[in-house]
Amino acid sequence: MLMSIILLILAAGVPYYLILEKNKKLNSEKIFLISSFLVLCAIVISSFVTGTYSSLLVIISLLSAIFSIYKATKTTNFYKFGYYLLFINAPFFMLFIREQGVLYTLSLLITLGGVYSIAKHYDKYYGSANYHGISGTTLATPYVGAFLTVYLITLALYPPFPNALFLLSSMIKEEPTLLWYIVVVIVFLGNFMVAMRVMPRTVFGTPNTNLHYVDLTSKEKIIHFIIIILLLALSIIGFKGAIA
Amino acid sequence: MLSSMIALLGLYGTYHVITTDEPIHGLGGLFVFNELSAILVPYVAILGLVIRKYATKYMWDEPGYKRFFILLNFIFSAIYMLVMSNNLVILAIAWQLMSISLYLLVSFNVASKSAVKNGSWTMLIHKGADLLFILAVILTYQTFGSVDLGQLSQTWLEMSKNPIDNPTIFVIGLLFLVAAMMKSAIVPFHIWLPYTSEAPTPVSALMHAGVVNVGGILLNKLAFLLLLTPAVLNIAFVIGLFTAIFASVLMLVVPDIKRSLGYSTAGQMGYMIMEVGLGAFSLAIYHLMVHGIFKATLFLESGGLIRYARHDPNIPQRLSYKLFWEEKTEHKSNKTFNLIALFTILPLLIFIGVKMVLSEEFFEFNAAIVILAFGWLTGTQLFLSFFKVSRSDSIKVILALVSSFIIILFTYEFVGLALEHFIYGEHALLFYGAATLNVTIIMSMVALAAIMIIGWLFMYKQHFVDIQKSKMPKRTQWLFYKLLAKEAYVPDFFIKYIKIFKKG
Repeated sequence: MLMSIILLILAAGVPYYLILEKNKKLNSEKIFLISSFLVLCAIVISSFVTGTYSSLLVIISLLSAIFSIYKATKTTNFYKFGYYLLFINAPFFMLFIREQGVLYTLSLLITLGGVYSIAKHYDKYYGSANYHGISGTTLATPYVGAFLTVYLITLALYPPFPNALFLLSSMIKEEPTLLWYIVVVIVFLGNFMVAMRVMPRTVFGTPNTNLHYVDLTSKEKIIHFIIIILLLALSIIGFKGAIA
Repeated sequence: MLSSMIALLGLYGTYHVITTDEPIHGLGGLFVFNELSAILVPYVAILGLVIRKYATKYMWDEPGYKRFFILLNFIFSAIYMLVMSNNLVILAIAWQLMSISLYLLVSFNVASKSAVKNGSWTMLIHKGADLLFILAVILTYQTFGSVDLGQLSQTWLEMSKNPIDNPTIFVIGLLFLVAAMMKSAIVPFHIWLPYTSEAPTPVSALMHAGVVNVGGILLNKLAFLLLLTPAVLNIAFVIGLFTAIFASVLMLVVPDIKRSLGYSTAGQMGYMIMEVGLGAFSLAIYHLMVHGIFKATLFLESGGLIRYARHDPNIPQRLSYKLFWEEKTEHKSNKTFNLIALFTILPLLIFIGVKMVLSEEFFEFNAAIVILAFGWLTGTQLFLSFFKVSRSDSIKVILALVSSFIIILFTYEFVGLALEHFIYGEHALLFYGAATLNVTIIMSMVALAAIMIIGWLFMYKQHFVDIQKSKMPKRTQWLFYKLLAKEAYVPDFFIKYIKIFKKG
């Protein structure tokens, strides 16, 4: 039980970012990194836990997920967007059978790694990771546009990317209850709405004439290619799991 | 080159299936090239070939030329995957791939705020369809213990021999039906289609000829499941009928030509779902193909026509123009009842003749009569709208319409029957039984005559009688017109209440 509560705090979205956000020394980037690290710890710790999580933990994580969905619709900062998505997806970590939940969370972290790299790029060239005024990247910086599109599609739970395939395979193998259906429907639509909302704001649209757009450097491109390859590798695992 | 090869491969596959009567299985049974694929794969491949060829010239100077072709190939892969899938998980993946690729294609003109916004609407409705589809797949697996469509079809066929009353099966059927309705732009999920006309012309052609038909394709793939759920078929019939009428009326009222075409497609999709609801599954496939070819031609021709019109300020003249449109000085008098007699009794006699010549099951297949009446009325109405038939050419018009009616009937009946025997064989009649909407021969004849009389009276008033300028419409008429002109306030509802994609 104690282990379950620790996991709940680490990964299942009791929104400790509320406290962290109040700390002036911690900016959004640091909160994103801390949250990701804690979720990684949760993945490791979960391998020591046997059995399934109680419904109460799932309900708590669902409530914090709903709150995170609300918060995510308010932000225009890639870092914040990243850690909100971690907590939106937390119920899946608790709900799915252990292996599927871990793989799902891992692929989520890798995708968010991609978003983090884009955020760093924005930070470096435009002064902040705020995407509000930097629209039309598909036209102005095609590589940033393409990679960001892939990440957002992945977060919106679309195949052929792994999150959707792990979700599909978990959904077929689970024995659904009413709570299960409620969680899946809310998180599925929540992920979609949050991820797709970013697309018209930054990827699509007319480029801002006051900005000098800079596309990815070769080094950055390599990082993104590695992330995409990792995602595709996970996709293959997810696909095999789904049709098995 | 690749498109041509795919089309040839598809045709070879069809030849193989026809000659050997054996489906081709691939990737461990995950995919199948069966009778349904044998019809749809060459259709999609040839459509793809034409659209690609057109797009290479049409899009060459557009920004994002490469992006366009990547997305086009992506959506075609998803369509092939959907058509040939023999596993519900593969079908679910293909179903979702279509959503995302369609969204990216509809929003292709990323610099346009309205294109992106309308793409978001499309996405929202399609995501709903994805969710319902996935839930239906889970329930199917939980209930029948398999996701293999071949196996499931056998199970469903066996189960249909001893009807059972299981509410879960009804829920599964309903979830699949609603998912299909959402993707096929059936009311009240029609709103995405009329607003996607800002997409490039090849995308519009693909959307109206291919993507929007996936609802019908899905229901055909799951035809044996629907044998177990007559109530779902009845729901499909009612909603399909409503969509056909509602969307067709909106098509006449909306002032925007592109939206009008969107509503026209939505109306046709209504027919398609209605046909499924009547158990005429193979007719739905025939319908979607015929409509698809017609709409693709319409969209692809539009560009060329505009170009032609720019070179010649006058509207291009064709034989049809000379026959029907050109103003004539002579006027012949025709009494209303003569016209009604010509346009009702004669087609009715032809109809009965054709049915009896072609179909042995004439008296078992009454439901299709109603569909044919609707199909014929739509065709003739379109005919009239296009060529603006004038009173002076009534004999020519009558001859043209009667001959077109005979051709339509023969092809519709002949191809419909041939498809029915090819795809479902002896099982086809089971669907009509499951639909439970067995209309008697007298009822259908009365309905047919009534529809024709009303339709032709309406057309007579529209085309043969001068509009009285002094007469003002009544208040109720204005309200009704306002309701229709505002598209029944459905877009307003979306704009007002669904703001998730609103730009910050």
